[in-house]
Amino acid sequence: MSTVMSPKDFATATPSWWCPGCGDFGVLSALKQAMAELGKTPKNVAFISGIGCSGKISGYLHSYAFHGVHGRALPVAQAVKLANRNLTVIAAGGDGDGYAIGAGHFLHAVRRNADITYIVMDNQTYGLTKGQSSPTSMTGYITGTSPQGNPDAPINGLAVALAAGGSFLARGFSAHPKLLVDLIKQAVEHKGFSLVEVMSPCVTYNKINTYAWFKENVAYVTENEHYDPTDKQQAFEALSREDKIPLGIIYREQRPTLETLMHLAEMPTVNAVLDPQAPELVALQEAYR
Amino acid sequence: MDSGSHLIVNDIEIMFGGQAGDGSLTTGDLIAGVFKRMGLEVYTYKDFPSRIRGGHTNYVIRAGRHPNYGMADFVDGLVAFDLEAVEAHIEEMRPGGFVIFDNTSETVPDHVKRPDVTWYEIPLAKIAKEDLGLELVRNTISLGVLGALIGMDPQIMRTDVTGVYKRKGDKVVDINMRAIQAGEDYVKAHFAEWPSGYALEAARDGERLLMMGNDAIGYASLVAGCRFIAGYPITPATDILEWMAKYGPKYGAVTIQAEDELAAITMTLGASFTGVRAMTATSGPGQALMTEAIGLAGVLEIPVVVVECARTGPSTGMPTKTEQSNLNHLVFSGHGEIPKIVISPGTVEDSFYLTALAFNLAEKYQMPVFVLTEQALCQSKATLPVLDLSRVKIDRGKLQTDPVVFGEYKRFAFTEDGVSPRVIPGVEGGMHLAPGSEHNELGVITENPKNRARMMEKRMGKMVSAKPDLPAPLVHGDKNARIAVIGYGANRGPIVEAQTRLAAAGTATKFLEMRTLWPFPEEEVRAFIEETDHVFVVENNFTGQLERLVRYVVGPLERMHSVLKYNGRPFRPIEVIEPIERFAAVRGLAGV
Repeated sequence: MSTVMSPKDFATATPSWWCPGCGDFGVLSALKQAMAELGKTPKNVAFISGIGCSGKISGYLHSYAFHGVHGRALPVAQAVKLANRNLTVIAAGGDGDGYAIGAGHFLHAVRRNADITYIVMDNQTYGLTKGQSSPTSMTGYITGTSPQGNPDAPINGLAVALAAGGSFLARGFSAHPKLLVDLIKQAVEHKGFSLVEVMSPCVTYNKINTYAWFKENVAYVTENEHYDPTDKQQAFEALSREDKIPLGIIYREQRPTLETLMHLAEMPTVNAVLDPQAPELVALQEAYR
Repeated sequence: MDSGSHLIVNDIEIMFGGQAGDGSLTTGDLIAGVFKRMGLEVYTYKDFPSRIRGGHTNYVIRAGRHPNYGMADFVDGLVAFDLEAVEAHIEEMRPGGFVIFDNTSETVPDHVKRPDVTWYEIPLAKIAKEDLGLELVRNTISLGVLGALIGMDPQIMRTDVTGVYKRKGDKVVDINMRAIQAGEDYVKAHFAEWPSGYALEAARDGERLLMMGNDAIGYASLVAGCRFIAGYPITPATDILEWMAKYGPKYGAVTIQAEDELAAITMTLGASFTGVRAMTATSGPGQALMTEAIGLAGVLEIPVVVVECARTGPSTGMPTKTEQSNLNHLVFSGHGEIPKIVISPGTVEDSFYLTALAFNLAEKYQMPVFVLTEQALCQSKATLPVLDLSRVKIDRGKLQTDPVVFGEYKRFAFTEDGVSPRVIPGVEGGMHLAPGSEHNELGVITENPKNRARMMEKRMGKMVSAKPDLPAPLVHGDKNARIAVIGYGANRGPIVEAQTRLAAAGTATKFLEMRTLWPFPEEEVRAFIEETDHVFVVENNFTGQLERLVRYVVGPLERMHSVLKYNGRPFRPIEVIEPIERFAAVRGLAGV
């Protein structure tokens, strides 16, 4: 498509359900901007989301959008790609959707390496159910289900993905729109599974991990001019930092995609010609004579 | 022994019994193939333990002049590789039947040795090891023994055995040929005056196949245009996933082994949402995990075919055994209410045609369609006529691949039949949100009460629209009979056989074989029951799930009787005949 796209081309008429100031607004506008800058067209974008505040994002991006069941965005997204590899496939959801109820699928999507992008909007709490602890909540975080403080250690999603064979791992901050647009663009262009975790503060329920708190606690890996995102060792070290939350492209490598390893034809599966009377199909019964 | 006057021709049930992993599967398949190529009708039943090696296992092969889609009342010939097999099955032997027993290391105690069966005690393992130098070929020796005793065609047997072992090289073929010969020679030398009482007469094989239910399902899917299957290995459904993995790629079909059934079903939805005919295949435990996503398919109006190969539940149950206890689950499971279709084939042949139909039903009415089968059918082989692929037509319903006008196009439009034109990603102008939340015609999430009510009516109304396309029940037997039987699935075989024998004894029956279980074919069942005095509902479960469904629509009737079996094994015909005869005798019904 030679048409110049604008973020508005990806807007829907549906009013947002998010609270004013929600970090998810930053993710949505960065996503629209990235789609426009990459010259994508809405009809060729499949956008699959999970359940939760963040899962509502699929209703706000003009595309073929799928808002399914809690925790299962990734299986749907991988299948959409296998069904039509010409589509740009993006999955999105929250920390609960991806790292709790959908954690099993997360690991397997990472290791399969289908050419899709997964955006995890991390607010370290459960918003839609009114403020319980999430898999990324800090230990000691006090909520309705953890009045004595969250006893669990938070999941480090990027470190888990790195160990599982993730081929593109990035983290952004919803209050840093330009950098986030760049991360999403690179993620979508990456051939293989790309994970973009976005720190996306919940202004209503998370009074600890606020915009101000993040500004104090984040650091871009590029601040170290020797940082090499193709070096797995450095990536592990960056993700192991306890003083700062590393942002930027943490790790990237090129390895064969699921589509390649499955020997998928260039022609999308959806375009296969269906002919029940094809002679070769009829001949298959000879094996049962 | 005088057997001349009692010779049974072309009617035999052989059971191969031994320890799992000892090769009885291969040998059983070989026997079934030889029977088929001798022009006989064949049915096989696998009774395997749920483990890889060890544990008693048996493989039943039944052959006859007429098709029998189930086991006989008794075993005619037992090939027992150990004492455990004898002890487990001696009570199932027909008086006048025979046992081939490997007495290399065990002897049959006198109290087990029924005098009314013929015993062929042969040191199979010893002959294999000492005369042929390979203990592994004792199965093939037993094949030679069996063939000589009942008159299997020696040439067909040799051709088939060669076919099985040729990829292992000439040496392997050669030793197996010598093993057959050794078996035949042993019978000549020791049992020439000791006939089995059984004989086979070869006829023309004809235009027939020998196929397993699951293979028919896999084949039908590919023929019907399925190009995506996601599944998680589970007995007895795995064969379908493997079939598609083997044959699908050539036709551009994607097979993916998912990390669990939650992924398998949501992947299936994803592929179907994108416009590819898609399916998954599972059994009870996996079906339970898929329940939530099937509700999503209902509300998003996504076509999806789910094959349920039922096994003995609940929980792990008996994974390799049969049961019809998942009917309630398919019909009633799920939070909220969705339209769905449940169809169930009664034969391997019907498994092919109904599975092919399922893809049309799913796309035409945009809802989940379950193909319900069970271990006793889906893992059984049977002879069937060559499949007629010209009977398979692909109808993709209201699939919309031409551009639409954005703003005018409504993915969930209210229509006369409840079915809305369905676009797929890539179609110009069709962008929309498909949400599991309640939505309006455009796909925008709304909790408006009027819209909600109308959407429910639209979706549920599709079950009424679909009725004319659903597989009709079949009526077997005497349509005027006052004694009736209702059943479905693998029970078709034993019920029809029971009917024939009841008729010969003077009791006329009619049998309604249900092929659509949901939406429940109310009118047909009501009409069928109206003209009866007694109705026996035959099913493999404890609570009488089908009988309850019938009563649910026709009300409590004194004429309804449940015939139940829930020990993990399929019905034998006598188990259908006895309750009917006993009841008829007590009530003094005419003709018994």
